[in-house]
Amino acid sequence: MKLRGRVLDVLLVLAALVFIAPFLFTLIASFRTPADLARDPLGWPDALTLANYRASIGQIRYLSSALNTIVLTLASCVAVSVLGALASYPLGRFTARWTSVAYRLFAVGLTVPVFVVIGPLYLLMRDLHLLDNRLGLVIIYTALNLPVSVFFYTSFVRQIPVELEEAAAIDGCGPLRTFFTVVFPLLRPITGTLLTFVSLQVWNNLVIPLVFLQDPAKSTVMANAYSLADPHTLQPAQLFPAALLGALPLFLLFLIFQRQVIQGMTAGAVK
Amino acid sequence: MFRRRGHLLAILFILPAAVVYGLFILYPLVRDVLMSFTDNTGGPASAFVGADQYRTLLGDPVARDALWHTVVYAAVVLVVQTTLGLLFATLLTRRPRIRRTVSSVLLLPALMSPVMASFIWSYLYRPDGGINTFLGSIGLHALQQIWLGDASIALYAIAAVNIWMFAGYSCIIFLAGYAGIPQELLDAADLDGAGWWQRFRKVEWAMLAPALTVNVTLSLIGSLGVFDYPLVLTGGGPVGSTNTLALLVYQDIFRNSDFGMGAATAVVLLVLVLVVSSSAGALLRRRERVL
Repeated sequence: MKLRGRVLDVLLVLAALVFIAPFLFTLIASFRTPADLARDPLGWPDALTLANYRASIGQIRYLSSALNTIVLTLASCVAVSVLGALASYPLGRFTARWTSVAYRLFAVGLTVPVFVVIGPLYLLMRDLHLLDNRLGLVIIYTALNLPVSVFFYTSFVRQIPVELEEAAAIDGCGPLRTFFTVVFPLLRPITGTLLTFVSLQVWNNLVIPLVFLQDPAKSTVMANAYSLADPHTLQPAQLFPAALLGALPLFLLFLIFQRQVIQGMTAGAVK
Repeated sequence: MFRRRGHLLAILFILPAAVVYGLFILYPLVRDVLMSFTDNTGGPASAFVGADQYRTLLGDPVARDALWHTVVYAAVVLVVQTTLGLLFATLLTRRPRIRRTVSSVLLLPALMSPVMASFIWSYLYRPDGGINTFLGSIGLHALQQIWLGDASIALYAIAAVNIWMFAGYSCIIFLAGYAGIPQELLDAADLDGAGWWQRFRKVEWAMLAPALTVNVTLSLIGSLGVFDYPLVLTGGGPVGSTNTLALLVYQDIFRNSDFGMGAATAVVLLVLVLVVSSSAGALLRRRERVL
């Protein structure tokens, strides 16, 4: 019995290694010289080099794109969590006919693919002079992620005891102050979960920056990688560092916040 | 608080989110449906053309193929990804010592963006790329393919990238489901002398219903709107064999400036997503209610 368990352990670890083999291969190959890689793609490297990374960083404008994406991600996270929590507070607490209609309207956004709205949204952003504008992108990401935010927060608000707010109200706190000093801090666990989810969405998104930003100097890592590096013609030695650099910040985030990330990704699986 | 001050206060709290969501999601959604009955090309003037766009769309083999590809793609991803995730979770839940490490490793691809995963796989799939080299080195020359250049397999090759990215995700959702099964229930099954398979089929599979619902819903919503992988890997080719509805919407609008046709294609996508996800949801929730 014990032996069978050990064998299963080994098999599972091996299966996991096979599963991420493409990733490990990319990691090793990204440090090999182009000639070495072409000679024997699956072989062991002769020597390691950072030249690929240097070339890749220049080609996809990594540093400025990464900075843009970080700012966009942070701004969207703040807007999504504040607006979502504000709206969910009455949605979770106050039962009237119109609040359940409002909740259902937000829920519509959980299933609608972005491509269904992208044409009219483009015309709207054009008419509002928000094309090629980073603020416009933050607004779009906020709108796209509000349904998830409302969905998470509303169910969480229902679990918070009302007494705390009532005590704050008796102490003379106004509604906004009660919200920001009493309610919002209580929402912290679900906010962490939500923000990892939103960060993943914003960082990895391609179509929004591709459509709504034209200037590469303003654009994100994914859009610039797509427009500036053609995977079909590019040398693999340059392709691999680009792929890894694009994922690097999220891998770091995952290393630090592993538990929150897993919770963020599985939220809703357990009732 | 809302009980005492009532509706006005509630409205004020909801207002900012409602304005942003209403203006930038709901309004475009409604306008998309309206626009699908016009010949809008993005300019100020457009004429009402009734159901003409839809008639053109249904008669267009490119659009019909794209619809079919989208359905096949979603079905393949749904079945294979969920099965792999369930398999890994079912084995891992019995091996607590390695569970965390292995599931974290499996989750790594899900953190990448589809663009970056496509970069890696576009090399692996090249005629002289990683997969063919590997197959050659172990003597399986017969299995070598032009993965993305063969119209009969390109769609499945792209689905494989999607599955590779999210099977680990599916696995941790099932693991969370397994963690929620009360130990007494499993002990009772063991006491009754249930074997491995019986325990899984009679107890665990039923108790995993909520996790299955989440997995199926996420997978369907993601794969029916698939865009990034075919855009980067094949651009819809070869000979349109990996064209999907989302890709078609994008091409209609941003390559051909045909906003009307793009809107009609988007409505088809919307109807497909709503019909498929709501019928899957209804089926799965009925299973949950049995719990």
